Amino acid sequence: MRHVAVTGLHKAFGSHRVLTGVDLEVPAGSLTAILGPSGSGKTTLLRLLAGFERADAGTISIGDRLVDGPRVYVAPERRRIGYVPQEGSLFPHLTVAANVGFGLAARQRRGAKVANMLEAVGLGGFGRRYPHQLSGGQQQRVALARALAIEPTVVLLDEPFASLDAHLRASVRADVQEIFRRAGTTAVLVTHDQDEALSVADRVAALRDGKIVQYAAPEDLYSRPADAQLAGFIGEANLLDGVLAGGEVKTFLGRLQVDPAAAAALGPGHGDEVTVLVRPEQIDLGLGEDGIAAQVISFDYYGHDAVVYLRPEHHADGRVIIARVAGGTPVPAGSRVTLRTRGQVFAWPKGSSAES
Amino acid sequence: MATGTLTGSRSTKADLAPRRTHRPVALLTLSWLVAAVLALPLVFLLIEARGAGVLDVARLIARPLTGSLLWNTVRLTVVVTLACAVIGTATAWCVERTDLPGRRAWAVLVVVPLAIPDFVVGFGWNSLWTWAHGFLGAVIVMTLAVYPLVYLPVAASLRSADPGQEEVARSLGSGQVRTFVRITLGQAKGAILGGCLLVALVLLAEYGAFEIVGYQTFTTEIYSEFNNYSFAASCALSLVLVLLSLLVLAGEGMVRGRGRVTRPGPMAQRTSPPQRLGWARWPVLALFAALVLLALGVPVGAAAYWMADGLPPALSGGANVSLLDAAGHTALYGGTAAALATVAAIPVALLAVRHSGRMRHFLERSTYLVLGMPGVVIAFALSYFTERYAAGFGYGSSMLLIVCYAIMFFPLALVGVKASLARAPASLDEMARSLGRRRPEVLCRVTLRLAGPGLVAAFCLVFLSAVTELTATLLLIPTGTQTLATQFWAYESNLSYSQAAPFALVMIVVAAVPSAILGRFFNRSAQARG
Repeated sequence: MRHVAVTGLHKAFGSHRVLTGVDLEVPAGSLTAILGPSGSGKTTLLRLLAGFERADAGTISIGDRLVDGPRVYVAPERRRIGYVPQEGSLFPHLTVAANVGFGLAARQRRGAKVANMLEAVGLGGFGRRYPHQLSGGQQQRVALARALAIEPTVVLLDEPFASLDAHLRASVRADVQEIFRRAGTTAVLVTHDQDEALSVADRVAALRDGKIVQYAAPEDLYSRPADAQLAGFIGEANLLDGVLAGGEVKTFLGRLQVDPAAAAALGPGHGDEVTVLVRPEQIDLGLGEDGIAAQVISFDYYGHDAVVYLRPEHHADGRVIIARVAGGTPVPAGSRVTLRTRGQVFAWPKGSSAES
Repeated sequence: MATGTLTGSRSTKADLAPRRTHRPVALLTLSWLVAAVLALPLVFLLIEARGAGVLDVARLIARPLTGSLLWNTVRLTVVVTLACAVIGTATAWCVERTDLPGRRAWAVLVVVPLAIPDFVVGFGWNSLWTWAHGFLGAVIVMTLAVYPLVYLPVAASLRSADPGQEEVARSLGSGQVRTFVRITLGQAKGAILGGCLLVALVLLAEYGAFEIVGYQTFTTEIYSEFNNYSFAASCALSLVLVLLSLLVLAGEGMVRGRGRVTRPGPMAQRTSPPQRLGWARWPVLALFAALVLLALGVPVGAAAYWMADGLPPALSGGANVSLLDAAGHTALYGGTAAALATVAAIPVALLAVRHSGRMRHFLERSTYLVLGMPGVVIAFALSYFTERYAAGFGYGSSMLLIVCYAIMFFPLALVGVKASLARAPASLDEMARSLGRRRPEVLCRVTLRLAGPGLVAAFCLVFLSAVTELTATLLLIPTGTQTLATQFWAYESNLSYSQAAPFALVMIVVAAVPSAILGRFFNRSAQARG
């Protein structure tokens, strides 16, 4: 069952084309993240869904109702959409309770509804305060309660966690996820942070140049990205040249097993040149003689893990390999190590997309 | 939640035809209406000039009198504007950036002269000392009366300027003096220019103070020609005066046009440590005391002196009734005009703040043309036109005076309303709409609520200006009615200083209330930004 359906959506501001044919179907009760670099049109897409802007072409339906299309345009106040903007946008002249009750009818405003909503976001008893008396995370949760109070058909969140401190972000994110799961809310979240998209959402839509490049579950997006450029945007990627050989691919890191989905897409083309994706955590470092010899260029330590930049010794094309290893003892720059690759790798026909 | 209502409707050719986006039709209509009303005086003036005969008007302009008026007006404008720029900037810097003792008290005292009508300042000086006459008198009186117009914007800009720029300049090897000239003054340049523009426009429009010190400018001449029923002559002189004002406006725009001051976001707000004055604090304190004594002490003291001088007649029953009566009319006209101007400014400000587009920009700019129309010209144009072409409709009624005030002070209201709407961001409106509220409801429950304090400030600004207005009031006041300003003027013209004095004092008190509210508003918004 789909809940939000977008087809062929176009939007331009003057001569600047922001969305160039977006198609998206969000299943009911799911949390979808729209992931894209800044300027990719994420916020525009959200504003079109909310009805703050009107599409140039294409359609938007929410539930079973067409809200934007040829000769149809439903005003934002009649869409019943819960919108949580980036800065929270609480009404500064109203108390927390009045903010949450803003979208309710007068008699509902006085009932238990507001208190229940505040309870649900963990802010019971904060009703009489004013927005400026709350922390950033609390403001964000009030904004969420306000959006959920009108029992929206879908909730839209615009970079909801971007303005929060790193340590707050994780907890607010988890709270929000929990609230949505419990209420069975359909939600669309916009973000430029791939970690956030992958960890929070049921499905992630990658937006690039005004189009959705891929719409998939987080693990699919990460291990089976649509093209090499997307692979580089979603996490760090080693993109290598390779030649197909049966179910395997020959690269300078050795013969690697190709992911079945990629193999099916590539076909049996023996000897075809391909671009291979090896994620940094697929590369193990060793000190023995077994494996590809490489020299450590630099070592970035993060505590829980570390990223090592390496230059293979017998391949003079200057390519740097990135490996992610568990934290522990730093490996000094200049040390010699050996590389081994594990797991299946993904591959595309060479030159199938702009490589980054 | 039925599925399948959308049967794969990919975008077709027909679908790619541009869809109508929402245009703020109501706002645009209202704004055009306001702009049209504001343009009336200029239109009237041009119609009158044609009616008087182009040749006649040209001959009247070519008189030697025009030349001498031009010389009088220009030299006074240049000297007073420069003096105000120096005094206003220097006092603002001392109050905002140094360790001058009693800075908070000075910050108030230095601004209070703004609440004293220029003609009361003129009365103060001229009634006490006969040498305060002619050019010298006009320079002293006008400088002391209007320098706060430079002080206020410069102080605000120094308060919100980024102190980091000065620190960076110092770290790059620029000395204290060089840093002050190149960075501090550079940051305040826009504010200084803006203040000077206001001063110049006030000088071009001033009537009462010049009449008292016996200095002849375009405005005084237009007024007396009009009173002698020489309409063609007042029309001709008005055209020159309007041209002069527009030249000042255009000149300021050209100077300001180059370079922009970038302000740091609210996060970057810091205040710089105050400059130590050291031994220099004593002469500076003496100068401040002298300034306040001259600008505030002399007019208030003179009014009090004359009132005490004639205490018995001033307190006699008849005078008191007329004082109350005049105060009531002043408040009524000022209040109605302020409400009218503020309400009229809302659609124009909403359009300017919330929507972009060349036509909307033009619309907003066009309303500033009123700044170039001195009050005497607006009043003259309105009264003459209604008398001649509208069969005297509205002439002699208070309506014409109120409309005249509202037109004259519309730019003040617009500045205030625009600033207040900036506190009500569009994102909150969208938020309210997505929560199911319709546009009119959003306007009442969110936009105007947030803009409320600023709207009050805009109202006060217009009210204050209307209370202390003399020229248009004298021309348009309904027969048999008196305001504080006109009654003061009547007594002053008869040299009945002791009877004029109470009216001056009450006027200062009436004007002080909105000034105090305004002061609080600006202080608070400065803190909110800080």
